[in-house]
Amino acid sequence: MPKVLIIDDSSVMRKIIQRNIQQSGLLVDEFVEAGDGREGLEKAASNDIDLILCDWNMPNMTGIDFVKALRGSGQKNNIPIVMVTTEGSETKIEEAKNSGANGYLTKPFTPEQLKSKLGNFLLVK
Amino acid sequence: MTLESVMETIALDITESTKTLFETMIMMDLKYNESSLVDDTQIKTDVIGLVSFTGKYHGVIALFCSKQFALKVASTMLMTELTGFTSEVKDAIGEVSNMIAGNVKTKLMAQYGDMHLSIPIVIAGEGLSITAVNNHPVVADTTLSCFSKDPWLMTPFISGNEKFNIGLLLKESNK
Repeated sequence: MPKVLIIDDSSVMRKIIQRNIQQSGLLVDEFVEAGDGREGLEKAASNDIDLILCDWNMPNMTGIDFVKALRGSGQKNNIPIVMVTTEGSETKIEEAKNSGANGYLTKPFTPEQLKSKLGNFLLVK
Repeated sequence: MTLESVMETIALDITESTKTLFETMIMMDLKYNESSLVDDTQIKTDVIGLVSFTGKYHGVIALFCSKQFALKVASTMLMTELTGFTSEVKDAIGEVSNMIAGNVKTKLMAQYGDMHLSIPIVIAGEGLSITAVNNHPVVADTTLSCFSKDPWLMTPFISGNEKFNIGLLLKESNK
């Protein structure tokens, strides 16, 4: 069963994402949380993660720097990453995809939008 | 385009972004009134959630609300009844401010190029007022804080029996 890493500096947002996934019927075995990109790298290294959801604007290490660091690390650099962020401009979406993000969802989102986006990476019950 | 008309356009973006946020993630009915300029002496609030931005224009977008409303928003977002003003309530208000400012930023970037948003800051107390002390030196030409002497363009919102405001401070950069 898949393990999902949620990286967001807002604990409330991490809980909302978690709850929406659980209620959507998407199959997830375990959630791992991180409050910034740096902690995200540590959690990705020490866990068998199947999917990463990552905010953009965070203290210490931003989401885009996390994506670049993970993709350039040579280890676990093929885990799918979906950016979940308020950054909604075409420029930022393009930058994220060019840096190695596999999906993009802008906040605020509905549970249906989250399910639709993550359905590309997770199985449904 | 004058600064006043840019502020009015951004106030419309704020209204639209706030409405969308409340419809999609907070699930609370929302009504709003026209924006107006408000000086610091008219502001009294319990909670301020603020995000500053820089770019062609720089400024602050801030949410002003009561503790009661902050509790209601956080409880709705977390789908649990929160009774105390915990760090989760502050986190929720920070995230609400961040989502409103982030969506406004996306709209502004289409017109004015790249912009940068700060991490949200939440200030909480009881009956807070904002005072711009006369003759206080300007910290930098490219930043504004909620303690600016400039008037806020304030948009009032109503949700149920609760009122809250989203304010905007704005200046053109390099002038």
